[in-house]
Amino acid sequence: MFESILFYTLAAFILGFGVLVVTARNTVHCVVFLVANFLCVAMIYVMLGAEFLAIIQVLVYAGGIVVLYLFVVMLVNLKRGPDAAPDRRRQSRVGFVLAAVMLAEISAILVYSAARPASAVAAAAATPLQTVGNTEVVGMLLYTDYLIPFEVASMLLLVAMIGAILLAKKEI
Amino acid sequence: MLTSYVPIFIFIVIAAAFAAFTIVFARLVSAQKPNAIKLEPYECGIEAAGDARDRYSIRYYLIAMLFVIFDVETVFMFPWAVSLGKLAVFGLIEMLLFLFILVVGYFYAWRKGALEWQL
Amino acid sequence: MTPITPYHYLVLSAALFMLGVIGVMTRRNIIIIFMSIELMLNAVNINLAAFSQQLHNAVGQVFAIFVVAVAAAEAAIGLGIILAFYRNKETLNIDEMNILRW
Repeated sequence: MFESILFYTLAAFILGFGVLVVTARNTVHCVVFLVANFLCVAMIYVMLGAEFLAIIQVLVYAGGIVVLYLFVVMLVNLKRGPDAAPDRRRQSRVGFVLAAVMLAEISAILVYSAARPASAVAAAAATPLQTVGNTEVVGMLLYTDYLIPFEVASMLLLVAMIGAILLAKKEI
Repeated sequence: MLTSYVPIFIFIVIAAAFAAFTIVFARLVSAQKPNAIKLEPYECGIEAAGDARDRYSIRYYLIAMLFVIFDVETVFMFPWAVSLGKLAVFGLIEMLLFLFILVVGYFYAWRKGALEWQL
Repeated sequence: MTPITPYHYLVLSAALFMLGVIGVMTRRNIIIIFMSIELMLNAVNINLAAFSQQLHNAVGQVFAIFVVAVAAAEAAIGLGIILAFYRNKETLNIDEMNILRW
């Protein structure tokens, strides 16, 4: 019962803030709605038993990436955004097509879930994922089975750092 | 499992209620006699100049970018630190390799002057 | 009320992903298009976490961490490209980014 209320509230917040991110005229407002959206998604991760993911959602997304976005919005500082005169006809056409795809997707999920008894799935989900801490399980997987992707990730971060410095170098 | 978060939930509710209460209470009780000087934004006694949405220096972008990269690096270190007891020397070598690759980027940023701050 | 099943999370993630797609398709401010891409990455992460819980396997969470790392690299480089583009053309309109068009 508590879980249901929490899930529907969080889902409403996530989708509401998502709509605001996509529709808000002022880019700074978009960034603020994006932070709120990320924090609600972090709470969804806690509900799913992925505590470590929730922490890095707050640390990296809400605390790091969004700050980067905010600085870039401040840097370019447009008085009149590119969306000042939007093409209404094009927007509504694309929107209808996407809404139809969305409807098909959700109904497919519902039909599939109706074919399988939901109670069995819920019972399986109710048992805890593991007895040791979530972070330790993730760490053991990351540093044994996924060793190569981990080292490649460091290479990716190095390339991103050097590339970003090169792109911004002209003004240093 | 989720019930262990109930204290945090109560904490959030109390914090939000306290903030709402103080704002509403101050609005109700305070005397409001505004004039032009009182409504000016406070800037350490100096008269405010220009717009808050001024153009920033590109250095802010560079610092924020470096912060995000090293933030992700730190995030990778948390699960490593927790499971180091089982990983032993193998885990230490892995993490040293990871850190070495990122330290190369750090020295690149240093040499290129991305960490300098002269306007 | 029915208990919350993984399908609930899948529907939520599908809706969030479609919001991101709508943002990419309809907005012309390139920074907002980037933010819509972040929304889509978040939808993918919800999906991974939901399956990770259903299958009792933490691999989904490990992949979600890699998605976050890639998102950080993407934000750093993408915003750098936006700044370089803005220096040259003084605009953020995606429709004017056509120099490389064949």
